Amino acid sequence: MKKDELEARIKKVVSSLLKVPEEKIALSSDFVKDLGAESIQSLELVAAFEREFGIEMDEEESLEVKTVGKAVEFIGKILKEKGKLGE
Amino acid sequence: MKEMDLIQNFKERAKKNFRRIVFPESRDERILMAVKELAKEKIVIPILVGEKEKIYQFSKDLKIDLSNIEIHEPKKSENLERYVLSYMKKREVEKGIAGQLVKKNLLFGAMMVKEGDADGIVAGAANPTAIILQVARTTIGLAADISLLSSFFIMVIPEFSGEKEKILIYADAAVNIDPDAQQLADIAISSGRTAKQLLGIEPKIALLSFSTKGSASHPLIEKVVQATKIAKEKDSSLFIDGEFQGDTALVPDVAKKKLKELGEVAGRADVLIFPDLNSGNICYKLTQYLAKAKAYGPILQGAAKPVSDLSRGASKDDIVDIASIVAVESI
Repeated sequence: MKKDELEARIKKVVSSLLKVPEEKIALSSDFVKDLGAESIQSLELVAAFEREFGIEMDEEESLEVKTVGKAVEFIGKILKEKGKLGE
Repeated sequence: MKEMDLIQNFKERAKKNFRRIVFPESRDERILMAVKELAKEKIVIPILVGEKEKIYQFSKDLKIDLSNIEIHEPKKSENLERYVLSYMKKREVEKGIAGQLVKKNLLFGAMMVKEGDADGIVAGAANPTAIILQVARTTIGLAADISLLSSFFIMVIPEFSGEKEKILIYADAAVNIDPDAQQLADIAISSGRTAKQLLGIEPKIALLSFSTKGSASHPLIEKVVQATKIAKEKDSSLFIDGEFQGDTALVPDVAKKKLKELGEVAGRADVLIFPDLNSGNICYKLTQYLAKAKAYGPILQGAAKPVSDLSRGASKDDIVDIASIVAVESI
């Protein structure tokens, strides 16, 4: 998977779970402040990302991820370690 | 009731009822130590949530013997499907996402309580308050007629008006920043019920302000006046009164001077309801340090079943005490 595909899939997951149109989701979007996520949705997002990419995210570390861009970085790092993310 | 007696009393009552209390933060050393002590002393039946292999390895490294402790592994649990379906009744999420979510230790532990497989949950040593509150609200839910989760402290004051080790309940000193009148009324009612359940007293609940029965006028006071009215109407079985200044609530001589009709609460209050988190939090800390009071809490209230939100800095002994309180709340 390339990074732009990862970004697109993350935006799709966020859009579906938070019910926000994809075009309104930017890398700089804050899940709570910009996209209106409640804290239970932060947990649901983690679960949705884990399912989408077949990964496990550390609960505490993943809750420190506040923006879409940070999620791309965080998940990208896990996928890279698994050899699933290309340059 | 004396301070030592208070915690001892909770432990004795917990022992008699031997409740099932779930601890989802099984990767925390303090939790494992507390669980071991709770089991050894037969205070509660502690239940850990997590992967057995990892927990045993972790406890082996720490030299904590967890044999005979019940451990539930979410991924292998026969209850998982039931919990997933139950979660989906509350939240509109795909089954796959709900499944992934409920496999997480905190959610699984909360669902055990929700579904009646445990009597209460003790968490918060490794999870932020916002997450604990939201998980509790979403899974376990609120008590039938209560609109919000709130928190209370049990304050044990070394001496007050000649009385040794006076016990007071302070609420809300940790969770709700600026409750409206309806919410403040619910905090008062929850706190009264908590005091009854835990302390076995007929609580005298005072809603505090900087005015006593109209001695001053301001929108901030009006909120407390409204809250008092709502709370009295909503639960007439409780002794609730206000708005009172702190001295009117606590000191009989002041109450007699300031009020024409004393009622049941003025001068005798033992449950103090603060109008917002500024006042509640400031007062609990001032009482703790200036009066050398012992503060137990914050303990959550308002959920359909008992939930604790431990402070991140809680010690093993704090966790044992809180687990005993959660067990007594569930009786």
